[in-house]
Amino acid sequence: MGDLSVTTAPGAPASPAAVAGPVTAYEPAKTLLTALLAETWKGILIMWSYKFNLLTSMISLTFVFLGINFFMGQGQLDTATMQSTLLGYLVWFYAITAIETMSWNLRDEMQCGQLEQLYMSPAPAQMLILGRSLSVFVVTTVQVVIISIVMLALFGISLPLTPAALPVFALTMAGLFGFGYALGGATLVFKQTGPLSNILTNALLFLSGAILAVSLLPPALEFGARLLPSTQGIDVLRRVVLQGESLADVWADGSLIWLIIHSVVFFAAGWLVYKWCEGIAKRKGSLGQY
Amino acid sequence: MLPAIEVKTLSKTYRKRNRPPVKAVDGVSLSVQPGQIFAFLGPNGAGKTTTIKMMCGLITPDIGEVRLNGYDTARCRHQAMRQIGVVLEGTRNVYWRLTAWQNLMWFGRIKGFSGRRLKERAEQFLRELDLWDRRNDLVNEFSRGMQQKVSIACALIADPPIVLLDEPTLGLDVQSSRTVKQWVAKLAREQGKTVVLTTHQLDMAQQLCDRVAIMSKGRLVANQPVNELLSLFSREFYQVTLRGRLNGSRPAWLAGYTVVEDADREETVVSAAIPDQDALQDLLSRVRELDLPLISAARVEPDLEEVFVKLIEGERLDAGAGRRAIDG
Repeated sequence: MGDLSVTTAPGAPASPAAVAGPVTAYEPAKTLLTALLAETWKGILIMWSYKFNLLTSMISLTFVFLGINFFMGQGQLDTATMQSTLLGYLVWFYAITAIETMSWNLRDEMQCGQLEQLYMSPAPAQMLILGRSLSVFVVTTVQVVIISIVMLALFGISLPLTPAALPVFALTMAGLFGFGYALGGATLVFKQTGPLSNILTNALLFLSGAILAVSLLPPALEFGARLLPSTQGIDVLRRVVLQGESLADVWADGSLIWLIIHSVVFFAAGWLVYKWCEGIAKRKGSLGQY
Repeated sequence: MLPAIEVKTLSKTYRKRNRPPVKAVDGVSLSVQPGQIFAFLGPNGAGKTTTIKMMCGLITPDIGEVRLNGYDTARCRHQAMRQIGVVLEGTRNVYWRLTAWQNLMWFGRIKGFSGRRLKERAEQFLRELDLWDRRNDLVNEFSRGMQQKVSIACALIADPPIVLLDEPTLGLDVQSSRTVKQWVAKLAREQGKTVVLTTHQLDMAQQLCDRVAIMSKGRLVANQPVNELLSLFSREFYQVTLRGRLNGSRPAWLAGYTVVEDADREETVVSAAIPDQDALQDLLSRVRELDLPLISAARVEPDLEEVFVKLIEGERLDAGAGRRAIDG
C-alpha cells in the first residue's frame, strides 16, 4: 500500500479528528440556507412587530401618490395616466424600502449590539444581509398588494398580472438591492447616512421615471437619470405590463440587455462596496460601534 | 493536545486623524486548554474587549493570528465561527422585539443548527432558566437578569465548544450574578466547554477560573494559573493589626501601605507587600512610633484583587523604565 498523505485546508487544524468541535458535521450549503432563511424570518417577525408603522407607511404612501397625481393632473385625478404612474410609484416604493431598510436596520443593530452577533455566524454576512433583503421584499409585497387593492376599489386602477413582468421585476430589484448594499456599507463606516439615503430616494422618485418620463428631462439630467438603478427597470416594466410587449420585443431593441447589464453591475458593485466598507469597519474596530 | 484557543502575537493600533495612535493590544500571545475557565482581567482601556473581539473575528488585527480549536479565524472563518458562542459586553446581545423562543431559534439557525435538536435544546435552556412559561414574551419585557440569561442561552444554543463572555455579570443583581457564575462553572466542569471571560469582579475570577491573564495598556502583565499567581506574592504579603485608631493623624511614611481603620472593632490594620526581613523589621519599628498596642503581625495569603493591584501598579511604575512581563 502506498503512503497516505493528508492535506488540510489553509487555516484548518492539521488533525481535525483531534478537535473538540461542535457535534454536528459542517455542511456549508445547509448552513448557508438555514442562516439565510432564519434572517428572512427574523426580518419579517420584527417588521410585523411594528404593525402600526407598516399601516401608517401604507396610508402615507397612498396619500402621497394621490397628491402627486392631483398636482400632475392640475387639480384633477386622471385615471388614464394613474395606471402608468402607479406602476412607477410602486417600483419606487420597493426601491426605498430596499435602500432605507438596509441602512436603518444596520444602524439599529450597531446601536443595539446584535450586528456583531450576526458577524459571528459561519455564513458570510452578505448572505445574511440578502436574507434581510428578502424579508423586506416579502413585507413590501404584502403592502403593495394592499395598496393596489385600495387603488382598484377607489379608482378602478389595476395593473395587469403579466408573467413576462416577473424576470424584469426581479432584475430591477437585484439592481436596487445592490444600491442598498452600497448604502449599507456606507452605514458601517459613517454610521449616520440618513441624509444620503434621503437624497437617493428622492432622486429615484423624481428622476427614475417613476412619475415623470425621463425623456422629458433636460439631456444632461436624462443621462444621469438613466444611470439610476430603477430607471431602466421601470421603463421596461411599463412596456411589458402596460403596452403588452413580449420579452422578445424588449430583448430585440436592447432594452432588456441593458437592464441585465445595469442590474448585474449595480448588484456586484453594491456587494463589493459593502465588502470593502466591512473591511474598513473591522480594521477600525468600529463594526459594532455607533 | 490541541489548545482550544491559540493567540499568537496579536497587535492592534487604532489610528485617527489628528490624534496620536492608540496601541490597544500589543503583542499578546496565549493559549487556553480545552475545558479551562480563563479570565481576562485588567483596568478599563487595558485592551481586553479588543482582544476578545479579535478572537471572534470582529476586529482585524494588525498582526498576529487566532486559532479556535485549530481553525484560523482569518483563513477558515466559517469553521472557526462554529467553535464559539459569544456574549459581548452590553445589554442588548439579543433582539428585544423577538420572544425568548424566537431569539433562540434565530441564534441557532444562523450558526447552521436546526431541526428537532435545536428545539429540544431551546426547551432545555428555557426550562433550566425558569423562562419556559415566558418563552413567548418579548425580550423587552424581561428584567436585565433575565435578558442576560437569554443572551447566554443564545450563545450556547448551537452547542459551541468555546464560550466567550465579556463582562457576563455586569449590572446584574446578586441572585442573577450567582446564577451566571453557576452556569459558567457547570459549562466547564460538567460539559467540558472552554470558557473565556472578562470581568472586573476579581472574586469571581478567583472562585471560578483555572487561569487568569492580566492586561495593562494592551500588554499581558501576567498569564498564569490562579494558584501560581497568588503564590507568587504570598511569601511577601504581611498584615499588622493594632488596637485603636489613627484618628486622622496619619504619618507620611504610611503612604506606601494599605491602612484600614475598623471603627466597630477599634482596630487599625496596616498591610503591604514586604520584600524581605529587613523591611519587615523596619515596618515594625515604625509602627511602634504610632503609639498603638500591637495585636498581631502575620503573613497573609493575598487575594486576586491584591495581586491585580500590585501587578497593575508595578506596571505603571515600570512603564518609564522598561516593561516587565510575567508569562507562564
